[in-house]
Amino acid sequence: MAFAENHINTDVPEKDVFALHFLQTLSNLSTQNPFSSPDKKSDRVKKIKKAAYVSMARAAGCTDRLWSRALLQRAAKRNNKIVRFPRRRKRVTWLRRRSNRRDPVEEAAAERLRNLVPGGGEMKTSKLMEETAHYIKCLSMQVKVMQCLVDGLSPK
Amino acid sequence: MDLSVLERVNWLQQQQMVSPDFFEILGSDGREELKRVESYLGNNNDEMQGFRHYETIDGCISRTSSFQMEQVKNNEENRVIALQPKRKTEGKTEKIENKKKKIKTEDETESSMKGKSNMSNSETSSEIQKRDYIHVRARRGEATDRHSLAERARREKLSKKMKCLQDIVPGCNKVTGKAGMLDEIINYVQSLQQQVEFLSMKLSVLNPELEFHINELSTKQFQACFTDLPEAVSKQPMMVDASSFPLQQHGSLDYSLINSNQTTILSSQKDQTSSSWEIHSQCLYNNLRTDSVSSFFSHK
Repeated sequence: MAFAENHINTDVPEKDVFALHFLQTLSNLSTQNPFSSPDKKSDRVKKIKKAAYVSMARAAGCTDRLWSRALLQRAAKRNNKIVRFPRRRKRVTWLRRRSNRRDPVEEAAAERLRNLVPGGGEMKTSKLMEETAHYIKCLSMQVKVMQCLVDGLSPK
Repeated sequence: MDLSVLERVNWLQQQQMVSPDFFEILGSDGREELKRVESYLGNNNDEMQGFRHYETIDGCISRTSSFQMEQVKNNEENRVIALQPKRKTEGKTEKIENKKKKIKTEDETESSMKGKSNMSNSETSSEIQKRDYIHVRARRGEATDRHSLAERARREKLSKKMKCLQDIVPGCNKVTGKAGMLDEIINYVQSLQQQVEFLSMKLSVLNPELEFHINELSTKQFQACFTDLPEAVSKQPMMVDASSFPLQQHGSLDYSLINSNQTTILSSQKDQTSSSWEIHSQCLYNNLRTDSVSSFFSHK
């Protein structure tokens, strides 16, 4: 079997890019509310978590990936900001929708995956796999960065 | 618009390009013949109507028996499953004939374009045309009709991607079968997300006030590990040269952002000694591309 081209590309930038974005987002967090100190722990945790995801999406390439765009749009929606990305032509004609997701065996699992990966609800199954691969790589990178940070900050 | 022959003649007559004598010349037999010719060519009225609305997309659809679709610009979705007439390995030649199938609307799959190219043109060349075609070879004993080929191509695409995923997710090699692998992948993604949450909880505990401690971190790290860096130790405000940093793929934009932020901060708090930690944080940002900081993140 010969395919015309190999269209799977899951390159992820290096750790420092993630670290840089994360630190920047974190410092932005504190400068956002200089006067109000969030007393509740859960608020702070949520903020940090959100900062982690947003910085990860930015570090991985804002608009290059469907999941990062969906993530950033979701985050912006919570802040009541409207983020506009250059609209990509999405040619899923009515023909393709019928034959998009056919195999029922993998469909249940793909459904769960769609719930996990941001922006997964609209993708074709093959596209979902690509996005999942990239998403997993970025997530693991982000986890490493955060682990380093925690280790560096923890009292020795 | 493609019309049947009769309609065309009628249309011409209406346009008064054809004299009414024409039909007389044809006679009633002639009309019968026209109709017969029509049916011989295949009365494609039903099917033509079916894809009439594709005309704008697909370009010209000719009524000849060999037709070729014009390539639409979007390369990704224009995969034509072309059949290779030759087989390399097997002795038995299970010849795949030239398919001259008409366009059927409801059978489009993602890998097949809106038509098939006639193999008579490309039969001479046994090489793989690397334009927009996915060449699928029907194996021995398998169905060679268009649907199953498309289905097979799609399945292979999927399995290729699953293999990629298998390499990424650890522990996927032991499980076989799509369902098991997908379950593993889902578990892995869930565990990663839980880790992110857990670490962010830890960070929030460690950093009640985020910015301060991050800059504390930078001073500690620089003083502890990287004192040999002259730039880190100096407490003079650094003029940031944005152009000196190598631009990398995704972080390049933010570098300029950070640098501009730093210059403003630096200029505003020049003489305060208490802001030395801020200056050190600028050093952190400035030197993030050097080996020292990257090794900080790679040490542990």
